Amino acid sequence: MSDVILEGRDLKKYYPVTKGLLQRTIGWVRAIDGISFTIERGKTLSLVGESGAGKTTAAKAVLLLERLTSGEILFEDRDIYKFSKSQMKAEYRPRVQSVQQNPWSSMNPRMRVRDIIAEPLVVNTKQTKEQIRKRVLELLEQVGLAPNQADYYPHEFSGGQRQRIAVARALALNPSLVVLDEPVSALDVSIRAQIMNLLKDLQNQFNLSYLVIAHNLATVRFMSHSVAIMYLGQIVEYGDAEELFQHPLHPYTRALISASMLTLPEDAEQGVEQIILKGEMPSPLNPPPGCRFHTRCSETQDICSKEVPEMKEYGKQHVRCHHVVYR
Amino acid sequence: MPEKASDSETTARPVVSGLSRRARIMRRLTFIVPVTILSLMIIMAIFADLAWLGLPDVGLAPYDPVKMSLPDRLMPPFWDEEGSTEHLLGTDKMGRDILSRLIFGARISLSVSLLVILITSFVGTVLGILGGYLGGRTEAFLMRITDISLAFPPILVAMLLAVSMGPSFVTVVLAISLLGWAAYARLIRGETLRLRQMDFVAQARIIGASPLRIMLRHIFPNVINPLIIIMTLQIGLLIITEASLSFLGVGIPPPAPSWGNMINDGRNLVDTAWWISTFPGIAIALVVMSGNFFGDWLRDKLDPRLRQL
Amino acid sequence: MSEIVLKVEDLHTSFFTRSGEFRAVDGVSFHVREAETFGLVGESACGKTVTGLSILRLLPEPAGKIVSGKITLDGTNILELSKKEMRAYRGAMISMILQDPMTSLNPVYTVGNQIAEPVRQHQRIQDKNMVEEKVISALRLLRIPAPERRLQDYPFQMSGGMRQRVVGSIAMSCYPRLLIADEPTTALDATIQAQYIALFKDVQKETDVAIIFITHDFGVVANMCHRVGVMYAGKIVETAATSTIFKAPRHPYTNALIHSVPRLDRKDDRLYSIEGQPPSLLNLPPGCRFAPRCPDVMDICNEQQPQEVEISEGHSVSCWKVK
Repeated sequence: MSDVILEGRDLKKYYPVTKGLLQRTIGWVRAIDGISFTIERGKTLSLVGESGAGKTTAAKAVLLLERLTSGEILFEDRDIYKFSKSQMKAEYRPRVQSVQQNPWSSMNPRMRVRDIIAEPLVVNTKQTKEQIRKRVLELLEQVGLAPNQADYYPHEFSGGQRQRIAVARALALNPSLVVLDEPVSALDVSIRAQIMNLLKDLQNQFNLSYLVIAHNLATVRFMSHSVAIMYLGQIVEYGDAEELFQHPLHPYTRALISASMLTLPEDAEQGVEQIILKGEMPSPLNPPPGCRFHTRCSETQDICSKEVPEMKEYGKQHVRCHHVVYR
Repeated sequence: MPEKASDSETTARPVVSGLSRRARIMRRLTFIVPVTILSLMIIMAIFADLAWLGLPDVGLAPYDPVKMSLPDRLMPPFWDEEGSTEHLLGTDKMGRDILSRLIFGARISLSVSLLVILITSFVGTVLGILGGYLGGRTEAFLMRITDISLAFPPILVAMLLAVSMGPSFVTVVLAISLLGWAAYARLIRGETLRLRQMDFVAQARIIGASPLRIMLRHIFPNVINPLIIIMTLQIGLLIITEASLSFLGVGIPPPAPSWGNMINDGRNLVDTAWWISTFPGIAIALVVMSGNFFGDWLRDKLDPRLRQL
Repeated sequence: MSEIVLKVEDLHTSFFTRSGEFRAVDGVSFHVREAETFGLVGESACGKTVTGLSILRLLPEPAGKIVSGKITLDGTNILELSKKEMRAYRGAMISMILQDPMTSLNPVYTVGNQIAEPVRQHQRIQDKNMVEEKVISALRLLRIPAPERRLQDYPFQMSGGMRQRVVGSIAMSCYPRLLIADEPTTALDATIQAQYIALFKDVQKETDVAIIFITHDFGVVANMCHRVGVMYAGKIVETAATSTIFKAPRHPYTNALIHSVPRLDRKDDRLYSIEGQPPSLLNLPPGCRFAPRCPDVMDICNEQQPQEVEISEGHSVSCWKVK
C-alpha cells in the first residue's frame, strides 16, 4: 500500500537575471528544472546534492517560501496551489513544519524558549494559556530538555540544545511532514548523533514524514528510506535508499559516494581509489546541452552532449543517464 | 539527559578584553561624565519651577525668566567687579536673569528635542519596517520619499513652515520632524532587510505567522538596539537645529527663553556683554557633546556591528 | 624515517579575559616529519585552531598568550625568535591555509598580485619577470589551469574551489617547510573536497612539505593524514597512525567520535552517542576532562588527570583505563 503524503510533479523554478537600469531580463537561472518526487507517510525522502544543485529551492517551495515557476505540489492528493488562503492556513501550513540548518539564526534572540515553542500554537490555535503551557512542557520533555529551561533565552544554550528546541517548535502543531534542512551539519560531531537519534525516535513515535535536505551522504543513508540525487537543478538518480547506496547507477552518484568514502592509507595502497571528478559544477545560468553532467563525467559518449537523457526506471531506481549498466 | 544551560559557555568564544587599565578608566569616564551632564540638564528642565505641581513660585530658577528689570540690565556675572551674587550669571539687555533663562531654556530646548525624537523615530521605524519587510512597490515608494526628504535642506523647510504658520513651539517641532524621520526610516529599513533574511523570520512564516505579527514580534524587537543608539546620537543634532532656527528668528518666539534665541539676543552685544551669548552656547556644547559621547558608548555597548555608522 | 620538521612540547596557550583564564591549549605535544601529514582532530573549541595559531605566533593580542612550552622548527625554538625574525619565518618557513576561501583573499587585488606578495617579501626578488615566473610556478603547483591567463583575474571571477587553490598557491609560493591547514576543505562541496585532497597529496609528494591538518571531519582525516592527534578540551587524548585510530581506538572519546558518525558503507539503525557537552574551559574538572561524559568512568578519573601512556610504537593514550 502506498500512502503518499506529498508529491512534487515536474517542479520548476527559474529566477530572472536582469541587467541595467531597466531591469531587462537577459537570462534565467534554472534553480530547479523539472523535478518530481513522492514522500510516503512515516518515511524519509532525502534530496542530496552539492551547493547549487537546487535542493534548498525545492524545500523552500514545499514550505511555501518560494513560489514555483511551474509544477504541482500535491498534499494528500490535493493540489496545494488550488487551495484558498484559508484552506492553506488551516490545512497545509500547520501540517508542514521545518527544522533549519543553523540553530544560531533560526530563533528570535529576543524571545524566551517558552514563547518560541509556543508561537505556532498561538498563531494557529485558540488554546488557552494553560493548555499552551502544558503543551510546551510536554514538547520540551519529548526532545530531551528540562521543564525549567523554558524560561531561558536561546543564547543560553549550546548548538545541540538549540536544535532540540527547534525540533520541539516544529512538532508543536503535530505536523504530518517536517522539512529538515541540513539538520545536523552545523553541529559538533559528538552532538550530531544525539540529534539524529532523536529525529529517528520521533519519526517512529509520531509516524512523521521527513523531507531531508543534506549534502553528507552518510547522514542521508542513516536517515532515509528513499533518496534523490540532484545535479544542476535536476534529479539524476532517485529511488530506494538501500538500493541506491549499494548499487548506484548514475556516474555522478558513484562519484559522490566515492568522494565521501573513508579511504584509509592502507586501502589506498591496496588500490582502492577514489573517483575524482574533473572540474566543477557549471553555472545553472548556462547548463550544458544534453546530459548536464557530461562535462564532468568519466564515461561520457557522443550522445551525452547532444541528447537530454530521460528518467528511466531500473528496478526500484529511476536514473537519468544514457548508458546505465543494469545487472 | 537534560543538560544544564550553563554548559553553553564552552561554545562561546572567549571575550577578549584587550584594553589596558588606563583605557578602561577612560571608557568608564566617557560614560559617567556625559550621563551626569545630561541628567543635570534634565533635572534643570523638570525642576525649573514647580508650576506643574501648582507651585509656580518654587523651583531651581531664582527668577521669572521673562520678568524685565531695566535698572538691572546688562549686569555681568558675579565674579566680575560690577557683578553681584543676586544674578550669578548676570542679566541681559532687558535686565532678565541669565541663569533663570538658561534653566527655563533647558526645559524648552530639551522638550523640543525629545518630542522631535519621539515623533521622528516612531514614523521612521514604522515606515522603515514596512518598506523593508514588504518590499516591492511599497518599498520603492517609501524609499523615494525618504531620499527626497534627505535631500532637502532642513533649515530652509523649517523657515518656510515657520513663515507660513507663524513661529511657535509647535511649528518648531513640526518643522524639524517633517524631514527628520527619513534618517530613521533608512537605517531601520536596512536592518529590516538584514533581519528578513534571517532563518527565524522564515520559520515564523512556516508556522503561519501573519506579516503584521512578524513585523511586530520578530523584526521590531531586533531593531530596538540600533534605534536607541540613533535616538541618543540625535539629541545633540536636534539641540543645534532648534538653536539654529531660534537664532534665525524662526524658532521659539521671544520672550520665552530657548538656548538658541538667547544666543541671538546677545549677538550684537558680544563685545560688550559677552555673557549673554556665551552661557547658552556652553550649555548647547555640553549637551551636544554629552549626547554624542553617550550615544557612542551605547553603540559600543549594544552593537559592535554598527560601529561604522 | 624522514627527519622531524616540527616538534611541539608541552604547549600551554591561554586567553586572559575579564571572566578568567581560558586554557585553550593545555599541555599539547606532537611532532610532524618531512612529507608527513599530521591531523589535529576535534570539535569546536577543543583548542585545535589555537594550537595552529600558536605555532605561527599569531594569537589575538593581548588576550592570547603562550604560557609555556617549546616549539622547535628544524632545530630552532621559534618561541625564542624576535618578532622580526618570526615575521621572516611566516610565509617562508611556515604558512597557513584558512577555512573560508571567500574571505581569505583580498577582493581588490588580482590573484597574481596576491601570490607575488610573499615572494617579494621573503625571497627579496624585485625583478618583475622572475616574480611572475615564481607566481606561475606556484599556480602550476596547485594545478590551476592556464596559469598565465589567471594572473590578472580577481578573486570574484573564480569559483570557491579555484579560490581555495589560489589560497594554496599563496601558502606554497615560497616552498615552506611546514604548512598548517585549518579546515581547508570544510567550505567545499564533496566532489571538490575530494579534488582538493588529492591535489594536496600530490603537492606534498612534490615538495616534501610537512602538513598539520586541522579538522573536525574524520572522513577527511582518513583520506589525507598519516598520523592523527585527537584533541578534547585543550589536550591531545590520543595520538596514533590513522589506521590504528580507526581500527583500534583506545580512548573512549576517540571511540565515541568514530562510532557516532554514520557509516556510508552500511545501514545503521541507531548511532552510538555520548551525552552532554565538552566542559567549559574556564571551569575544568579536576580529573580527566572527559570523565563527566565518559561511559567507562572510574573513581580515579574524577580525581586525577591521566598521564600519557605509549601503548605501542607511535600510539599514545591519556586514559586511566589504558595501562
